[in-house]
Order: sequence, then structure tokens, then C-alpha cells
Amino acid sequence: MTHRVDQPGVPVPSKDGARDPVVTVRSLTKRFGEVVAVDDLTFSLRPGTVTGFLGPNGAGKTTTLRLLLGLAEPTAGEALVFGRRYRELDHPAGRVGAVLESSDLHPGRSGRDHLRALALAAQIPPGRVEEVLVLVELQAAAKRRVRTYSLGMRQRLALAGALLGDPELLILDEPANGLDPAGVHWLRRFLRRFAEQGRTVLVSSHMLAEAAQTVDQVVIINGGRLVAAGTLGELTEQGRSLEDTFLRLTGAAS
Amino acid sequence: MRAQLRAELFKLRSTRTSLGLFAAMTGLVLLAVVLHSLLPAEALADRDNQLTILGRGEFLGALFAALLGALSVTAEIRHGTIRPTFLVTPRRGRVVWAKVTACVLTGAGLGLVAGAVAAAVGLLALRARGIDLRLDGGDEVLLVAGSVAAAALWAAIGVGVGALVRHQVPAVVGVCAWLLFVEGLLVGDLVGLGEVFKFLPGSAAAAISGQEPGTLLAPAVGLALLAVYAAAAAEVGALATARRDIG
Repeated sequence: MTHRVDQPGVPVPSKDGARDPVVTVRSLTKRFGEVVAVDDLTFSLRPGTVTGFLGPNGAGKTTTLRLLLGLAEPTAGEALVFGRRYRELDHPAGRVGAVLESSDLHPGRSGRDHLRALALAAQIPPGRVEEVLVLVELQAAAKRRVRTYSLGMRQRLALAGALLGDPELLILDEPANGLDPAGVHWLRRFLRRFAEQGRTVLVSSHMLAEAAQTVDQVVIINGGRLVAAGTLGELTEQGRSLEDTFLRLTGAAS
Repeated sequence: MRAQLRAELFKLRSTRTSLGLFAAMTGLVLLAVVLHSLLPAEALADRDNQLTILGRGEFLGALFAALLGALSVTAEIRHGTIRPTFLVTPRRGRVVWAKVTACVLTGAGLGLVAGAVAAAVGLLALRARGIDLRLDGGDEVLLVAGSVAAAALWAAIGVGVGALVRHQVPAVVGVCAWLLFVEGLLVGDLVGLGEVFKFLPGSAAAAISGQEPGTLLAPAVGLALLAVYAAAAAEVGALATARRDIG
């Protein structure tokens, strides 16, 4: 059965018992003039999970993430991380890392200098810059200007920026876009390892086959509204693929 | 805010933009002073003209400092780095004021280079033409100091304009059009506003270095007025940035 959830807690057994949600989205609404981009959306995430945030293009995924990250103000409702508005976090880089668009880089700045500028603002020691460069396997290209980077390298550099503060929550918007198969494989392993450390990942995607291999929780939205939320197992039971479930729920099935 | 200021200063020196602005400005200062030094000898002997020629650095320093300030905001918006910037520092007003401070410091450097190069090359050119210098040491110090102050404050205006306009091309065109064209129209009193032009920010900037003493405000008044413009522009830019959604 599908899970149309009115009070979706996405309950997950966690190792040290029930903990507060990492992400709480409650009756979240965002209007741009006449357009309702996010419509009374409610869901929450528990620690130690990788949640796929799925929906067709224009479903409101990116807008929801921007509201969660304090880049836009909700019209109604609230979007909280660790129980607070993002803007009220004391040291946000140490709690939340996020990549909204892979191209959020200055083409004329080197990869290392991009990270240094962020580290200076976040008061993160310069040694950490070198650590994350190694982590995303960009140390050899760190001196080069970003305009010489491939799309996959830009994605990894942006991810390195999100990891600078060693955050507990990672929010990624369509991170697999433009990655080659090796890059996708690398990202999948990286996200699993990240969650195994008890940390939390929220990753938006419209690439369902890839998402099905990476996530253990799923939140599906369409037209700004919640369509389903649950574990991957729940949403794919009875032998249905995630794709079948998704197409049926978002009304795109033929 | 110290961390944000260090980050903003680092951003300014980690791309080639600032270096390009310094180089282009210095080239234009040289060109302007050298061309003016070809004027007829009787024109060059006039004290006000000597002030204008040796003070060419002030105008170009202020223009390029304003561009530096505007680009410091609009380049981040254009390339999207504004998002990681605000994720690290969600208090956006703090980011804008750090940009203002970083650009004021760098703008002062632009003004110093422009003012010193114009004064030095102007002196050499007058000497080469065998024309008596009618300025004293105090005039020359005021030319350079005024150039530093004008550029520093116009950098803050540039940040404010960039934060308000957000798009790179209109912000840059707007700054250039205002300084190069709009204020010039008002000086000619085309619109019948009388002497209102001398209270405009470009004329106030020129007044700081003691130019056109009969026409413009006194240097100290020009400085105070331009400082008010700069603070107002920065504050408006900070407020607008804090209120609006980031795309």
C-alpha cells in the first residue's frame, strides 16, 4: 500500500532511541504571486537516514530546500533544522552543509580559494580546507581556476564546501546531475558512509533508479504538495519499482 | 564580523577582477593626464585648470572604486556564490557591511594610486612644458587625500547600488552613466535646478580634493556629504539584501 501521510514522522529506529527530528517541515507554504510553489507541506527527518526528496520538475523541491536553508521566507508554516530556523543557528556550517546548484562557483577563482573564502567566513581552520579537498579527490586540481573544471569536478568542489564545517546534516539538490557513472557510484558510497556515522542526508532527485539505490527514506511531492512519505521498502512493496510508485502517485503514468 | 571581513578581502584578491580594475584605472589616469597636458600653454598656466588636470585621479579612482563595490555584490549573485556565502553567514546584513568595509579599504587603495599617479605625472608634464606650477604642497596633498577619500566612499556607494540592483550589467551601466553623464547634464543646469548639482555625490567627491573652488562645496563639506551618501547607500543595500529572497 501507499502511504498518504497526514502526520508523517517517517519513524525510523535509531541506535540511541528516539531523537528529535533533524528536519521539521510543518504546513510549509510558499507563493510567488499567483503561483503556489509549496503548498501546506509537512514532513520530518530523523537522524542517520538518507532521504530521497522526489518529485517531477517544478514540484517545489528546490523551493522547499531554499526555505529550509533560510534563503527564502515562507509565506506560511515553518521549515526548521535541529528545531530552529536556519538563520538562528549559531554556527550553521558546523550543523548543516548544503549544495543547491553545482554552478555556485566563481569561474575565475581556484578551487582551493573558493573553499578558503568560505572557511574564513565560517572561522574554520585552513587545514580543514586541505582535508575536504582530499575527501572529494580534488587536491591535484586545487590550484586551478574553476573555469577549467569538468562538471563532475565542480559538483565535488561544491560538495567539499558543504563539508567544510563537518556538518551533521547534508542537503543536496540534484547532486547526480551531470555526473558520470563513476561519479554517481562515488557519491552513492559517500552518502551511505555519511549516514552510517549517524548523520542525515536529504537529497533531491528526479532520477529514480539512482535514488532507489541510494536512499532508505522517500518523500515524494507533486505540485508543491506531499504525495507520499515512508521507507523505500514501504513504497516499493508488492514488487513495484520506485518508478512505478512515483509515476502512479504523481499522475504521470500513461 | 571580523571573519566576514577577512573572507571578503580574500575574495577581492583571489580573482583577477581587482587587479584588472587597478590596471585599467591606472592606464586611463595616464591617458587623461597626458592628453590634458597637450592643452595650449595659456590654459595650462591657469590655477583651476592645473587643479583639474592633477586631480583627474579623483574622478577615475571614484569611478573604478564604485565599479569594484558594485561587482563585489553582483558577481556573487551572477555566479551563485551568494548562496554558499549566505549559508555560512545567514545574517546577510553582516555580509553586506563586510563587503562595504572590504571595498572601502580596497577603494582607498584605488584612490591613492589614481591620485598619486595623476599628480605626479601632471607635475612632470607641466615641468616638461616649462609651465610654472601654481599649486603648493598643501594643494597637492589635498588632491591625493581627496582622491583616497572619494574612492573609498564611492566604493561603499557601489556596494549599495550592487546590492539594490543585483544584476551586474544594469548596476555597472548605472554607476558609469551617473558619474560620466547624468551629473554632467545637471552641472550645465539643463533642467533649471540651479546649483543643486554640487550636492550630488559625484560633485561632492570632486569637492573633497579642492577642485573648482569657486563652484563646488568646500572640501570638508564635500567629505561629510559624500560620507552620508555612502552610509545611506550601504544601509539601503544591507536592508534590501536582508529582506529579499535569494534566487
